Amino acid sequence: MMNSMNVPSKRSTLERKLDKLILTLFGTLFTMCLIGAIGSGVFIDRKYYFLGLSKSVEDQFNPNRRFLVVLLTMLTLLTLYSTIIPISLYVSIEMVKFIQSTQFINKDLNMYHAETDTPALARTSNLNEELGQVEYIFSDKTGTLTRNLMEFFKCTIGGEIYGTGMTEIERGVAERKGIKVQEVPTSINSVREKGFNFDDVRLMRGAWRNEPNPEACKEFFRCLAICHTVLPEGDESPEKIKYQAASPDEAALVLAAKHFGYFFYRRTPTMIYVRESHVERMGKIQDVSYEILNVLEFNSTRKRQSVVCRYPDGRLVLYCKGADTVIYERLVGGSDDLKKVTREHLEKFGSAGLRTLCLAYKDLAPDVYESWNEKFIQAKSSLRDRERKLDEVAELIEKDLILIGATAIEDKLQEGVPDCIETLSRAGIKIWVLTGDKMETAINIAYACNLLNNEMKQFIISSETDAIREVEERGDQVEIARFIKEEVKKQLKKCLDEAQQYFHGVSGPKLALIIDGKCLMYALDPSLRIMLLNLSLNCSSVVCCRVSPLQKAQVTSLVKKGARKITLSIGDGANDVSMIQAAHIGVGISGLEGMQAVMASDFAIAQFRFLKDLLLVHGRWSYIRLCKVVTYFFYKNLTFTLTQFWFTFYTGFSGQRFYDDWFQSLYNVIFTALPVIIVGLFDKDVSSSLSKRYPELYKEGIKNMFFKWRVVAIWAFFAVYQSLVFYYFVTVSSSTSQGSSGKMFGLWDVSTMAFTCVVVTVNLRLLMICNSITRWHYISVGGSIVAWFLFIFLYSGIMTPYDRQVSG
Amino acid sequence: MDTDRERHRARETAFYLFTQQSLPACKPVLTPGWVIAIFLFMGVIFIPVGLVTLRASHCVVEIVDRYDIDCVPEPSRMDKVSYIQDDSIPKNCSRFMKVHKYMKAPIYIYYQLDNYYQNHRRYVKSRSDKQLLDGQKYHDTSYCQPVESNNNRPIVPCGLIAWSLFNDTFEFIREGAELKVNRKNIAWKSDRGHKFGKNVYPFNFQNGTLIGGGKLNPEIPLSDQEDLIVWMRTSALPSFRKLYGRIEEDLDVDDVVVVNLMNNYNTYSFGGKKKLVLSTSSWLGGKNDFLGHACVFVGCSSLTLAIIFVLLHVKYRR
Repeated sequence: MMNSMNVPSKRSTLERKLDKLILTLFGTLFTMCLIGAIGSGVFIDRKYYFLGLSKSVEDQFNPNRRFLVVLLTMLTLLTLYSTIIPISLYVSIEMVKFIQSTQFINKDLNMYHAETDTPALARTSNLNEELGQVEYIFSDKTGTLTRNLMEFFKCTIGGEIYGTGMTEIERGVAERKGIKVQEVPTSINSVREKGFNFDDVRLMRGAWRNEPNPEACKEFFRCLAICHTVLPEGDESPEKIKYQAASPDEAALVLAAKHFGYFFYRRTPTMIYVRESHVERMGKIQDVSYEILNVLEFNSTRKRQSVVCRYPDGRLVLYCKGADTVIYERLVGGSDDLKKVTREHLEKFGSAGLRTLCLAYKDLAPDVYESWNEKFIQAKSSLRDRERKLDEVAELIEKDLILIGATAIEDKLQEGVPDCIETLSRAGIKIWVLTGDKMETAINIAYACNLLNNEMKQFIISSETDAIREVEERGDQVEIARFIKEEVKKQLKKCLDEAQQYFHGVSGPKLALIIDGKCLMYALDPSLRIMLLNLSLNCSSVVCCRVSPLQKAQVTSLVKKGARKITLSIGDGANDVSMIQAAHIGVGISGLEGMQAVMASDFAIAQFRFLKDLLLVHGRWSYIRLCKVVTYFFYKNLTFTLTQFWFTFYTGFSGQRFYDDWFQSLYNVIFTALPVIIVGLFDKDVSSSLSKRYPELYKEGIKNMFFKWRVVAIWAFFAVYQSLVFYYFVTVSSSTSQGSSGKMFGLWDVSTMAFTCVVVTVNLRLLMICNSITRWHYISVGGSIVAWFLFIFLYSGIMTPYDRQVSG
Repeated sequence: MDTDRERHRARETAFYLFTQQSLPACKPVLTPGWVIAIFLFMGVIFIPVGLVTLRASHCVVEIVDRYDIDCVPEPSRMDKVSYIQDDSIPKNCSRFMKVHKYMKAPIYIYYQLDNYYQNHRRYVKSRSDKQLLDGQKYHDTSYCQPVESNNNRPIVPCGLIAWSLFNDTFEFIREGAELKVNRKNIAWKSDRGHKFGKNVYPFNFQNGTLIGGGKLNPEIPLSDQEDLIVWMRTSALPSFRKLYGRIEEDLDVDDVVVVNLMNNYNTYSFGGKKKLVLSTSSWLGGKNDFLGHACVFVGCSSLTLAIIFVLLHVKYRR
């Protein structure tokens, strides 16, 4: 609840701009009325005796009270010109948007996820066109970019790489280089399980015994099976067992050990039971129990985890696994070849987007262990600073380790994520990753999704520096806050200065900012906010790690309010709700992590990659269509009203209406209503596949090319021009007699003619703004024009059965 | 059964195409070829239409004579308003109109008023259509203000429009013989038949202190008072022509028509002009070059644009 915010009601930017347009129209209306009203005050005069102004004249026309005449005429003209305000526009827009969201977005097969039977879901119809103008995407990581599914993918043991799979990133890199990717056939008896996606016959089913270094393999597997804090659950058989782990990584490692033949099946407070196969000879299975003497747990500063265990034969071993940097610092001297080869492998894994862990072990002499254990117990039972003391003690024994190898786990990206991100960034959209995960993981994933690469200049603002840690250890909260703030300020300034140099350079590298939650907390402080915004807006990608849900929302609104750009947040979990609500558009992944995100979102999709369709296809089309609808509405109402306005000048500013009441009211309702809705539904410039292939087209929406004031001005120009043509063509050409009968037209004949011109032209003009014309366009445009003629036929028939017939 | 299923499938297909937004559509792309073709087409259509219209207009012979000033005797010209309002002064006046081109019957006689706001809101609404159709049976004539009743008796026809009826009259003499003027059938048939009652007679009309314009013969029903019907079809613009009658004899070149007119109607107080117009008519109506010129202009500009585009296209061919 602490992180929740008030649910805002969202209106699209286009609609807010539309409000401004309507306000402008009100201004225009007022000006037109004022001109007419002042004219009426000047015009009214007793000399026009035929107007009967000599006695008992109502106020509206009383030449003695010109001010009142002006005022009352103003009101008359207001009703007369009120057609300039397109009231039906809002109704039409709502209809169009409703159909767009319920029929097009919800039923798009390209956004339908067959595996989970989930179609896309537009939960609001307000924001369709906003989807076409997004410039910043804030994405959660776990469950959104990734499947939140760790899989054991590769490993290196004793300088040998095992695992034949290929990650999506490697595939992408290869494709970019133009190398054809060959699908490696999986071996027939490969094991595939959730969490284990490893395929190499050399290690499976005891085949590792024939490898060059079976001893290393043995240690590797034992390390995986013993050095962890996983709890087994359920039946103690390899098929049915479930592992409960603090992180999915750990579970994946234990799972891997199981598949390699080291099946961890039971844990007691002091023992770990492992069913080992093929250890002494092929095919032999034996249960072995290891006594766990000490567990040196994982934390973010140590970045490693160790277990001291005693074999049934009394051998004392320390197994350690951790990040490559910390393990390499603690290796024993010698065997540089192995270290070098393994390091190369680690880099290879890293660039493939895999999460790596190094494994190492160390045999302990009993006496060394005993003396250390005393210190350990002492530290463990100390009351003050226990954590720090434990770390120090661990430091004493975690040294002179022997490297075994490394594991590579794939945090599997969702299908098509790198491609989607690449397409979106080509469309001019900037993607920020906001995650609660630790920095390494976040960076890894950012690499994996093409958000970061080695050519980029990366600014890292982290609270994990020695200086900050030192201050933190002193423990004075006020001091810590002050110090970190100073530090963040310094770093921001430094980065900004450096970034500035890069902007001035012509083809500098792209910039990326990586910042963690603690620093972000201070960087979001009002005094530093501008600096943060300046820096981050100039970076092509931003990664924020270890951020709280509230911070996610703060970052979102920083960009939304500070940069006035259109933002979209996408996430799947409850921790993304505030971010989803804060952004202009919230997108929920309707996936595994419950429904909170979806319930808070405006759109729900099943996969991140559907964002491409949602934005580049639906968003873009909706935007273009609605812009057309709005500008066209503006045009048709202005044209219509202006003919009336020009007429006012020829009626002595009396406020005489040019058009019949019925014409005026039905103009928007019948004669010009349907075609514009058809355009709002069916117009499309390029097909959906082309929109996705050329994402650059999307930039038009970001720049709001179709609803700038310039566009409105062009339409206004056409409206003025056309209304003048209508008015003068009709009045001048009816100034002499019509036909051979010599009879003259009256006021209503002329106005009917003018109205016909307006209806026909305005409807045909619609066809000229269409990029694609379907049958429905023809039907609706033709139908509207026919409706008018039908109407006037019936209407005049009712009013005067044989009206406007030329008599002989 | 089969057709039912087929129809169902067709509907489903159509709906599928609709939701997947892949309805068959033609995509008009403005290639240079199309643009040139469209402009050429417009030129080819508009120029002949314009020329035909112009020709029709040129066939019409029109003689216009402004008489409002010349018909006021010299001494009264300083104060034309008191002249026109003085009933004791005779208002007759003679005008000579020379025919410069052969005019084939029927020749239409119009009077034209300028600066006369028949389309003023107060004026337009000051009538009662119901009363015109039903006469005194219809009582609610509030629209007719301020010419609704006189001496507590209703006026038929009421309202400003009828009250201000045009009342100049014209007689035409050629070579000493009077030209017969047909004043029947000058109003639209629909007006005569459906807006003015056959059994409605003028009543209490122009009886008050203020006389606006012409009087009506109380013996003739409104549906036959064609002058009134013509007058009451209010014009769209402050400058307008109204049909007065038809001369049903041809006029030869150099014929001189003497017009004896009664200059009764007051346009002097507001500076309006009065003109007499004799005009023949073509199939398109009166003399009006505007439409023809506009069409020719549009056609020519389209052609010019087409030619410019052709040249540009040839020069910068991709």
